[in-house]
Amino acid sequence: MHGSGAEISREVFWNILGPGFPTEQVLLYVLVFGTFLLFFRGLAKSGFFTRLKAAANAKGPEVDRLGNPWDRFWYMVTDVFGHRKILREPYQGIFHFFIFWGFIALLITTAIVFLQADVIYPIWHVWFMKNGFYLGLSLFADVFGGLAIVGILMALARRYVIKPQWLDEKGEDGVVLWFILAILVTGFTVEALRIQATEVDPSSPMFHYVWFSPVGRSIAFLFSGMSDVALRDTHVVLWWTHVLGALAFIIFIAYSKLIHIFMTPVNIFLRPDVPQPPLKAMPPEMFENAETFGIHNVEEYSWKDIVDGEACMRCGRCVEVCPAFNTDKPLKPRDVIQDMRTYVGEKAKLAIDADGTYHVIPDEEYTGPGFIGDTISRDTIWACTTCMACVEACPAYILQFPKLIELRRYMVMMESDFPAEVMDVFKGMENNSNPWSIGAHVRADWAKGLDVPLMSEKGGAEYLFYVGCAGAFDDLNKKVAVSLAKIFKAAGLDFAILGTEEGCCGDSAKKIGNEYVYQALAMANIETFNAYNVSKIITMCPHGYNTLKYDYKELGGNYNVVHYTEILDKLIKQGKITLKQPIEGLGAITYHDSCYLGRYNKVYDEPRDIIKALNSGSLVEMSSHHAKSFCCGAGGGRMWMEEDLGTRINQKRTREVMASGAKTVCTACPFCYTMLSDGIKELEMEEKLQAMDIAVLVAKAAGLDGKGQEADAEPAKAEADSE
Amino acid sequence: MNTVVCMKQVPDTETLIKVQGTGIATDGIKWVMSPYDEFAVEEALQQKEKMKAGAVTIVSLGPDRAIEAIRTGLAMGADNAVHINDSAYYNAADPFATAAVLAAAIKNLQYDCVFLGKQAIDDDSGQVPAMVGELLGIPVITQVLKLEVAADKSKATVTREVEGGQAVIEVSLPVVLSAQKGLNEPRYASLPGIMKAKKKPVDVKTAADLGVTAGPATAIKEMTLPPARQAGKIIGGDDAAAKAAALAKALQEEVKII
Repeated sequence: MHGSGAEISREVFWNILGPGFPTEQVLLYVLVFGTFLLFFRGLAKSGFFTRLKAAANAKGPEVDRLGNPWDRFWYMVTDVFGHRKILREPYQGIFHFFIFWGFIALLITTAIVFLQADVIYPIWHVWFMKNGFYLGLSLFADVFGGLAIVGILMALARRYVIKPQWLDEKGEDGVVLWFILAILVTGFTVEALRIQATEVDPSSPMFHYVWFSPVGRSIAFLFSGMSDVALRDTHVVLWWTHVLGALAFIIFIAYSKLIHIFMTPVNIFLRPDVPQPPLKAMPPEMFENAETFGIHNVEEYSWKDIVDGEACMRCGRCVEVCPAFNTDKPLKPRDVIQDMRTYVGEKAKLAIDADGTYHVIPDEEYTGPGFIGDTISRDTIWACTTCMACVEACPAYILQFPKLIELRRYMVMMESDFPAEVMDVFKGMENNSNPWSIGAHVRADWAKGLDVPLMSEKGGAEYLFYVGCAGAFDDLNKKVAVSLAKIFKAAGLDFAILGTEEGCCGDSAKKIGNEYVYQALAMANIETFNAYNVSKIITMCPHGYNTLKYDYKELGGNYNVVHYTEILDKLIKQGKITLKQPIEGLGAITYHDSCYLGRYNKVYDEPRDIIKALNSGSLVEMSSHHAKSFCCGAGGGRMWMEEDLGTRINQKRTREVMASGAKTVCTACPFCYTMLSDGIKELEMEEKLQAMDIAVLVAKAAGLDGKGQEADAEPAKAEADSE
Repeated sequence: MNTVVCMKQVPDTETLIKVQGTGIATDGIKWVMSPYDEFAVEEALQQKEKMKAGAVTIVSLGPDRAIEAIRTGLAMGADNAVHINDSAYYNAADPFATAAVLAAAIKNLQYDCVFLGKQAIDDDSGQVPAMVGELLGIPVITQVLKLEVAADKSKATVTREVEGGQAVIEVSLPVVLSAQKGLNEPRYASLPGIMKAKKKPVDVKTAADLGVTAGPATAIKEMTLPPARQAGKIIGGDDAAAKAAALAKALQEEVKII
């Protein structure tokens, strides 16, 4: 074998191959081949192919996740190598980054060594692994391998010292870390023994370059007293230990969460298109002819829903951010995905015949555990606030919560199985087009005496101001609607409201699982909007915003929808609203991101810019904000349900407000406004804390909170013109 | 067990009521099944489910629009319906005339129990259950809170509301029962139920078809809305004693209740 000569390189298989026939090298080939066979056997044994078969036979709606394959591929490559989402969590992000790049570097190095020693040299007798290239490669492998050890130690520290509550604890979790550590340590030790035996003597051509293997060289000091024979004997033993360990590790991948090495990139490639509603509408024609609605059998999910389970490595980021989990409710998004994955596998085993054909088991024949109730508990299903924190946090682009809403759809529409208090909400929406069950005829009463233009009187306007149920019926939030109407008038905006022609947007119905009622409400609104040729809509509520903007598109309603914070921010920046004087007594202000404005629609800056423009107190951030903002607890129809399990989400969020040092918490969502106002009252913090909607503050700062607002419009305009 | 449920479509409790002549303006009204009748429908369905046999028939007097409430009942699970669509009778809104057509329709049906709401929440007369029982010649129990029917359908044990308490009554079947709040929690119609309801048979009849000639026994002379609620008054005063004195004075002189 080459490499023993007096040049800057090293002998591959040093101390392993004897003279003559390379028995050990051939043995290695056999072992590697065997490893790959065992790897695939492992996949089969762990049910991987069974579950893929279940995915291939899934009956759910077709989802397009293959369009723009090159864009998808490029996104996948950059995401995998750049850790776009993984690094959002610094600690686990960095240790994963270290381990990942350690793997990649060692894989590249091993591949180069293989090419050199097993392909290029035997065929062409060329040795390129020398001099600068060799030294660079040596340094590269050593540094990244060393970082991988650091990464593993960080991961071990998290698992055994920091022990976060949301971290899963399965047997394999510890094994994975110790296994990788053992491979890395034996690898470096093998290197160190070789260095001690061949490179530390001043006569060695490598003597001056030995620090290009910094980790190996450092470890070699441990062996400085050992004889050459002892070094060589130890080296052989450890070399085989390392090699067999590495090969065993490859097989272990097939049996463990490490399969994510392959399946997570696949899922990143298949990621959902953005922007799109994470929860797809049910095709309206279903309500004419379908016999079953929503999902109660796991086979009714789409193939992508089932593939999601394969990409989940139980990292627990979804659990960490889940408002239900954080208030001691039974929902852990990770467990939903994992339990579903196990269940898919178990049920698919029964569905696959001896000859490999897959047949769906009819309900009458199936006697095993059910999916709703037995696998995913009802409390779990109802705990979700659809805040999307799980989806946002997931580095594998899994859609966790929409899977639960599909189950709600079945429970609500097929079995009328929902929390009792929701009955009045449905009836209110059906009979009076609002969840408060207040007579539809008082929907525009908030606007009495304000001279707010009505679409039916005006005939049309540039903007439809879609107030939504909260602004129309809820006393606290009527103030927001009033403030907005005054501001829009003062800014000279060409707008109108629908008055009593407006209907509920249907978001709560949709997220509770009543797609039938949602679509009826949506279609009624779309018809009204179209009758007035509405194209631009301002919404007061982020739920209406998201629903009108994305969900109505699926039903044929295409509108340019903005949330009020977007338009207020623009009007302020254009000088069309003048915030005359600071508001006294606000203290430090924090902004609570509404899930449906922030995570759903990435509106983060506008509300904050408005608060800064108020010039009435410094803006401080809470411990969780922007994409990691913690839900108020009202999304997903939870606004209308009792919260009997665990502690209250709104109180947890209120405590976070308190901890931020703010005296005022600003909201831009009627649900958040209500939940935080209630949280402050429940915790008896009225003395120290107040919740305020941004619109109310803007109206106040613009001098529109009292009477005489009409006169203010002119100067505001004049200033705008002079800019 | 075969049951008949008498059901009335009424304005939603939250809807805006405007008086028109001796009745109300019907434009812009959202119509629903009278809430007490929902208890009646639910009880009929639960009894049927318990007995695992029989049919639930809805009988309703009302105009064309009443079919929506009838479909709601069918969507909840009732099997068929009789829709008495006769303007002379539904416009009269007279308890006796209403009971006469309902009883005539029920006579043509097989029944062990007849369920009604204890009253319709629009005109609140509360007379129809008793009159239907009289016209059918069978016992009537009003304000029912609980019902247990013997397996052989010979008798039933009925809990009804009495002032400040409950009375338990044993009665032979068939019987007319009027439902009070608390009898059950009406179900929300499932979507398959709603879809099936569209195909369930509804027999449309007039009073003449039923051989009823009885005319209204009463006539409405005038209809008025309750007076609008007056604004509240805050009793002022320097201290508690002064406030109490002001309150006593107001109760004595203005409200004249002490």
